[in-house]
Amino acid sequence: MAEATLRTPPLDRARVLQWLQTYGVYAGVALLLVVNIVITPHFMSAENFRTQAVQVAPVIIVALGMALVIGTEGVDLSVGAVMALAASVTALYLGYGLLPALLVVALFAAGVGLANGALVAFIGVQPIVATLALMVGGRGLALVLLPQLEDLRNPALASLGSGGVAGIPYLILIAAALALLVAFVVRRTTFGRQLLAIGDSRPAAQLAGLPVRRVLIIVYVACALLAAVAGVLATARLQASDPTSLGNLMELSAITAVVVGGTPLTGGRVNIAGTVAGAVLIQLLTATLIKHDLPPSWTQIAQAIVIVCAVYAARGRGKR
Amino acid sequence: MQRTTSRRPLLARPVVVALAAAVALTATACAKTEDDTADNKQSETAAGAEQKVATPKAGGETCTIDAYGAEKIDLKNATVGFSQSEKEANPFRIAETQSIKDEAKKRGVKLLTANAQSQFSKQISDVQNLLAKGADLLVIAPLNSDGWDPVLQAAAAKKVPIITIDRKINAEPCKDYVSFIASDFVEQGRRAADQMIEATGGKGEVAILLGSAGNNVTTERTKGFKERIAEKAPDLKVVFEQTGDFSREKGQQVTEQLIQSKPGIKGIYAENDEMGLGAVTALKGAGKKAGDVKIVTVDGTRNAVQGVVDGWISGVIESNPRFGPLAFQTLDTFTKGEEVPQDIIIQDGAYNADNAKQDIGKAY
Repeated sequence: MAEATLRTPPLDRARVLQWLQTYGVYAGVALLLVVNIVITPHFMSAENFRTQAVQVAPVIIVALGMALVIGTEGVDLSVGAVMALAASVTALYLGYGLLPALLVVALFAAGVGLANGALVAFIGVQPIVATLALMVGGRGLALVLLPQLEDLRNPALASLGSGGVAGIPYLILIAAALALLVAFVVRRTTFGRQLLAIGDSRPAAQLAGLPVRRVLIIVYVACALLAAVAGVLATARLQASDPTSLGNLMELSAITAVVVGGTPLTGGRVNIAGTVAGAVLIQLLTATLIKHDLPPSWTQIAQAIVIVCAVYAARGRGKR
Repeated sequence: MQRTTSRRPLLARPVVVALAAAVALTATACAKTEDDTADNKQSETAAGAEQKVATPKAGGETCTIDAYGAEKIDLKNATVGFSQSEKEANPFRIAETQSIKDEAKKRGVKLLTANAQSQFSKQISDVQNLLAKGADLLVIAPLNSDGWDPVLQAAAAKKVPIITIDRKINAEPCKDYVSFIASDFVEQGRRAADQMIEATGGKGEVAILLGSAGNNVTTERTKGFKERIAEKAPDLKVVFEQTGDFSREKGQQVTEQLIQSKPGIKGIYAENDEMGLGAVTALKGAGKKAGDVKIVTVDGTRNAVQGVVDGWISGVIESNPRFGPLAFQTLDTFTKGEEVPQDIIIQDGAYNADNAKQDIGKAY
C-alpha cells in the first residue's frame, strides 16, 4: 500500500539501483581508469596494464568458478585451500614433468570438488559449512604434503608464468579464454540453464525432473578445477610453491568480485562479464592505493565501501 | 522425496570418506619433486654459524637462582620443555626448533617439545602440559608478549625457571622469567640501512616492503632503518612503504606496482628474505638486470644468500635462529647457581658480495 502511494519517486530510485547493479561495476572501473590517468604518473603504459592484468588473472579465474557456485545459491569457501593444494601438489610431482604434474593437480582438485559437491548434493549440508570443512582440511593437506616454501626451476612452468604470445602473457590469455568458456556455458547450454534453475529454486528444479545432484556436483568440481588452475598459474608466476600463504583470503576476493559484479547471492542469476569487471575493479582500487603509497588499511576500507555499495544496489533489486 | 533423500546419505558418506582416504594415500606414495636427485638442503650447521652474545654488558642486570627462588639442579638430569610458537613452515622456525633439539641431544638432556601452530590459546595449554609432564626448565618462543599470567603462576608454583627466546614476554625479569635471548630488531634495521647506503651511494629514492602490520618485528625493523637513513644519508629518501605481509607472493605483487609507478627507484629494503625474493622475481619479470635496483633484506635464509651470490641482492642482515647452544648454556650457568644476564642480545652476522659465497654454509 505504501508502495502504491509513493509510486513515482521509488520507481525512479529502483531504476537507478537496478542500473547501478547492472552497470555500476563498469562505471566504477571507468571512473578509476580516468582518475588514475589524471593523477597517477606512468599509468598509461602497456607495461602497467600488463602488470594489472597479470595480477588480476588468478582472481578472475577463481571468481568464475565462484560465480557458478553462487548461481546455484551456494558458496565455495575452499577455493583458497585448493590453490594451496595445487601449489604443493605441483611441487611434489614436478619431477615427472609439467604435464603429469598438472594431471595430478587436476585429480586432487576434482577430489575436493567431488567432496564439496557430494556433501552439498547428497548429504544436504549447507554449502557454507561443507566448503568450510574443506577450506580447513584442504590447506592442512597442502601443508602436510609440502610443509614449507619450495623453489621451482622447471623451465616449462617458468614460461607458463612469465611467457606469452605476441606480448600478451599466457596468464591473461588463459583467464580470457576461461571467462569466455564459462560465459558460453552459462548462457548457451542446457547445463547453464539447469544450473540457474537450481539456483532459483532447488525444490522446483527437483520437481521438474532436472538432474539436480549431478549438476551441483559438476558445478563444485568445476569451481575446484578453476581454483586449481589459478593456483598453478600463481605458482608459475612466483616460481615457487608456497602453500602457507598462496590463496590466503582468496575466497573472499572471489566472492567480492562476484557480488560487486552484480551476481546476487540468492542464486538463479550469473553475471560473468560483471564478475570479471568486479575483479578488475578491486585490482585497480588496490593498485591505485599502493601506487600512491597510502596505508594498506585504506585498501581494506575502500574495498569495504565498494562491497557495501554493491550490496545496497542488490538489495534494491531484491525488493522489487 | 523425503524418504529417498534420507536414504542416500548412508551410501554417500562411506563413498566420500573412501575418496578422501584414497586421495590422501596416493598423494605421497609416488611423489617426485624436482630435488629428488640433487637434494642440497641439508640442515647441518656450518662451523661458526651458532649464535654469539653481542654485548656481555658489565652493568646489565643479572639474575641468579637464589634471587629467582628456584632450586639448583644438574642440567644433565633435568627435563627441559620447549614451546614453539609458530608452525615449522618457514626456515626461521625450522632452524630454531632444530637447533634446540640438536643441542639437547648433544648435551644428553631430556627434551619435551610442543608447537602452538600460531594459536596463542594452544601455546598456553602447551606450556601447562609441559609443566604437567614434569618439565624442570622451560624454553619458550612466545607467540605474543602479553597474556602469560596463568602460565607464569603455574610455573612459579612449581619453581620452574623460564627462558624466552626471539620474542619477549611482558613480565618482570628474574621474578616471572629468568632471561630473554633475542636479536635486536632495531639494530637489524640500522644495519640494513648501512648496507642500503653503501649499495646506493647514499642518494636517490628507496622503498620499504613492510612486514605484517601490528607486529613488533615490523615496527622495530622499520624504526631502525629510518633512523639510520635520516642520520647518515639525508639524501636517501624513503618514498614508498607498503606491506608485503612477510610473504613472497605479496612482495612480488607490491614490487610490480612499485616499479611501474616509480621507475626511478634505486633500492628496496625488504623486512624479511621472502619479500626480498618476491621483489627479485618481480624485477626479473620486468626485464631488469641484477643490480639495477639494490635490494637489502633481513633474515639470512639460504635462498636470500644465494641471491647475494647471484648479484640480485646487495646485502642480507642475519637474524640468527640457532638459539639452542645459547639457551642451554644459559640454563646450565643458571642451574649451577651462577649469575646470568637478564637480557641476552645476539650478535647477528651479515652477508654481502664479499662474503656470501664462502659463508653460504652458515645460512639456514
